Amino acid sequence: MAPPVDSSQPRLAAGCRWGKQGDEPVVLFPEGMIRVQGTGQSVLELCDGQRSVEEIVGVLAGRYNSADPAKVREDVRAFLEALQQKRIVDY
Amino acid sequence: MIPNPLALIAEITHRCPLHCVYCSNPLQMVGAKTELATEEWLRVFQEATRLGILHLHLTGGEPLARTDLKDLVEGAHAAGLYTNLITSGIGLPESRLQALVEAGLDHIQLSFQDGREGPANWIAGAKAHAHKIALAPVIRRFRIAFTVNLVVHRHNLDHLEEMIAFVEQLQPDRMEIAHAQYYGWALKNRDRLMPTRAQLENCLRIVDAAQQRLSGRMRIDCVVPDYYARYPKACMGGWGRRLMLIDPSGHVLPCHAAGVIPGMQFDNVCHHPLEWIWNDSPAFRRFRGEDWMPEPCRSCDRRAEDFGGCRCQAFLLTGDAAATDPVCSLAPTHGVVESAQLRANSGEAQPAAWSYRLNPE
Repeated sequence: MAPPVDSSQPRLAAGCRWGKQGDEPVVLFPEGMIRVQGTGQSVLELCDGQRSVEEIVGVLAGRYNSADPAKVREDVRAFLEALQQKRIVDY
Repeated sequence: MIPNPLALIAEITHRCPLHCVYCSNPLQMVGAKTELATEEWLRVFQEATRLGILHLHLTGGEPLARTDLKDLVEGAHAAGLYTNLITSGIGLPESRLQALVEAGLDHIQLSFQDGREGPANWIAGAKAHAHKIALAPVIRRFRIAFTVNLVVHRHNLDHLEEMIAFVEQLQPDRMEIAHAQYYGWALKNRDRLMPTRAQLENCLRIVDAAQQRLSGRMRIDCVVPDYYARYPKACMGGWGRRLMLIDPSGHVLPCHAAGVIPGMQFDNVCHHPLEWIWNDSPAFRRFRGEDWMPEPCRSCDRRAEDFGGCRCQAFLLTGDAAATDPVCSLAPTHGVVESAQLRANSGEAQPAAWSYRLNPE
């Protein structure tokens, strides 16, 4: 599948959800889990199926105001595409 | 240090409407009368979370045979467990599935015995295939993960491509292609189930091509048969290292089959906390670490990768649970596996009839 576009509305895929391992947030899915920290966690928390990629990039660029929005956009798209391949995110 | 278990396999009942010839349940099953009560399971789920367990696999028998399944799912979800239902789908009208999803079910794994109706019902010893097909689109109406599990063996591997195409039409997120493993009922039927080496090689090629073709649409996981491997599998990720299984009456085992090993005493959740059973009970300590290992395992470079293979298989094939798994090409008893291979590839007559799985009283 192609990378997400600006209007895509990413969300956790069916059967994937947040959980906790001890105090650390993890994303659980069939037969596995991933630990998410830092920016990855920030991106995924914004993926609620409502916000578009453009809006997610806007929130993140605002939060880290030194970041170049074009670079943030590329990073977010690559991150979401990789998680879609693993069927953790859909958009 | 003892690692935390990651997953709990809960065999909540051994009752089942199917009679699959490769069922992983023990030959000696637990009857309905001694099954754990609802509240006992709910307490166990809370203990499991505290022990660090993330995934719960509700299985059987057929878990739908328990009328309190919704309460169990609700309790597991409340405990924070990621809850998977492993089922034949028999006894799951849409209203019941909806109730399970609302109770917090995350994942459903539906088993198929074949893509063709005749052979599927022949393996299951029941007319189940058409019901399963009808259930798939119902499952897809809900936002949960959907896995189709297909056990493969000598009698269906020759039409594996057709079966993958069949599963694609059911639109699961994930497909498991699991070669029959020879424990329990499957061991009784081994000489009819075991594929030829050519079938296995062909299977690996087909799976590889399907994985590439379906990448990003349907994940395919394949469990390969260890009888043809050079080295043994790291069974359950090692004895008492990642997984624990609780049988219908509350006995806690490191795997599906460990009950066959003589002299072992498996402690029960009614008498001990789960944490003690995992960390300290004699059964879980019995084959942890390397002290129990014989040669050639003890000095083998692979001992931290495969942990000497499977203890149950070692017992079933050699009579000694502390022997090197005989599927290992370095095992002194490897001859028993070679002779099974030889029979599977010789075109010798197969046993005439299946031993179908029976139900507990």
